[in-house]
Amino acid sequence: MWLNRLFSDGPIDFEKRCRTRILVGKGVILLGLLSLAVMAFGGKGAEEAASTFYMGTGIGLMTGGIISVMRNRRYLADPNRKRERAIAESDERNRLLGLRCWALAGYSMFLVLYVGILISGFLNGTVAKVLLAVVAVYALLLGLFRFLLGKSM
Amino acid sequence: MKNRIQELRKEKKIRQEDLAEAVGVTRQTIISLENGKYNASLQLAHRIAKYFDRTIEDIFLFEEE
Repeated sequence: MWLNRLFSDGPIDFEKRCRTRILVGKGVILLGLLSLAVMAFGGKGAEEAASTFYMGTGIGLMTGGIISVMRNRRYLADPNRKRERAIAESDERNRLLGLRCWALAGYSMFLVLYVGILISGFLNGTVAKVLLAVVAVYALLLGLFRFLLGKSM
Repeated sequence: MKNRIQELRKEKKIRQEDLAEAVGVTRQTIISLENGKYNASLQLAHRIAKYFDRTIEDIFLFEEE
């Protein structure tokens, strides 16, 4: 199952992973360009805040994409760097650290959302409802992935 | 769980880097294993045992609570 492949303990095909990342990086650069195009051509009637948002998103996406493409090309070009990075990415302790970081960030996010709901309830009903919806979707996703992973493991 | 990785590594006179590369992990993982801060997975324990030409039980000392 594709979910299991995401967390595979087996050896990884690092070269294939780099090539995929380069492709994804190029896609992200295109998304960034699209965002800048929306700002340049479609945002004349939009508020300044929206314009700034599109520009920030565009620049951010393009920068991230360029960095990802350059970094992964460097791994592919230099065998030593590639070997070191492949070991670092397949290292089981690093992977466990990564998973625990995600888990802790998830718990913290729940707490932050809860505090946000408590405070926004007094200030703005719409914000409180949006935050409640985010918590609900988050909890649903958590349950869904638990169910899917439980079936495949 | 205690282990004898450091003892066996010193016996063989090899560096942490070399062991790490041989079993496909980072040097930091070897350091954590030697300090008892991290427990190896079954796959890694197997690779380490194979590297030292020992059994897993020879290297990793399971303690029943």
